[in-house]
Amino acid sequence: MAPDRHGSAVIAFPNELEVVITREFDAPIALVFDVLTKPEHVSRWGATPPDRMTECSIDLRVGGSYHSSFVTGDGTVFSFNGIYLEVEPPVRTVETWHFNCWPDVEAVETMELQEHAGVTTFTWRLAFSDKAGRDHMTSFDGQQDSLDEMEYRLRSLLNPSRA
Amino acid sequence: MVPRASTTSDVFNAVGDVHRRAILDVLLTGEKPVGAIVRDVSMSQPQVSRHLRVLGEVGLVRCRADGRRRLYRLAPEQLQPLHDWVAKYERAINDRLDRIEDYLEELQRQGEGSGT
Repeated sequence: MAPDRHGSAVIAFPNELEVVITREFDAPIALVFDVLTKPEHVSRWGATPPDRMTECSIDLRVGGSYHSSFVTGDGTVFSFNGIYLEVEPPVRTVETWHFNCWPDVEAVETMELQEHAGVTTFTWRLAFSDKAGRDHMTSFDGQQDSLDEMEYRLRSLLNPSRA
Repeated sequence: MVPRASTTSDVFNAVGDVHRRAILDVLLTGEKPVGAIVRDVSMSQPQVSRHLRVLGEVGLVRCRADGRRRLYRLAPEQLQPLHDWVAKYERAINDRLDRIEDYLEELQRQGEGSGT
């Protein structure tokens, strides 16, 4: 049976510092929250084959930290880590976001869930501390103008820190 | 505000500037002289001219002479790399979100199974 898809994610760049992605899931909010924040769940969906998730630790409390690592098919390592600033199960977490490939970039990630009639809307927001940070996603170095390179950069975004 | 010369080498950087996007929006409705563009965006003519030069360098805007006027128009085919990039981005994000959705469904199916 085909999954009951709620369509594609909506991706927006509301201003020069943020990226916002929205998607609906046909599941209750408490379950979605657990799936997004418990390591035993995240490790099940976190990596896109042939990538592998090699580490996933989440200390879900204010001041607690998270850390996740991935190894791609060609051996490249991606890792994400940060500290939780706000934790309000099952509706919201706010955390700092550091990506090993962009050491100079400071960002704060916000995850929000809202349930209506059994459908949970997931909003993921990444806010960079300066425009140079966000430009990592939208800039396009003329020397490396292959879409594969962009995909490599974007992979960082697609592996949210809690993953 | 002078466009940053070092970041104007490609379409992605060219559209990364909010003022240049405003100019592109204006040109969506058709070919226009600088004066008409200046009227539609809140920028001075020198600013608009500088941004038009950047947009012209990456091929997003073409210019032709009409008597003594110069008319600017959008060359949307140059947006193809941007379109491809966004499409790839959306695919990758949705792949990931699809995996979450599949996993949620699997969990809920298991939950129903154990409940009966």
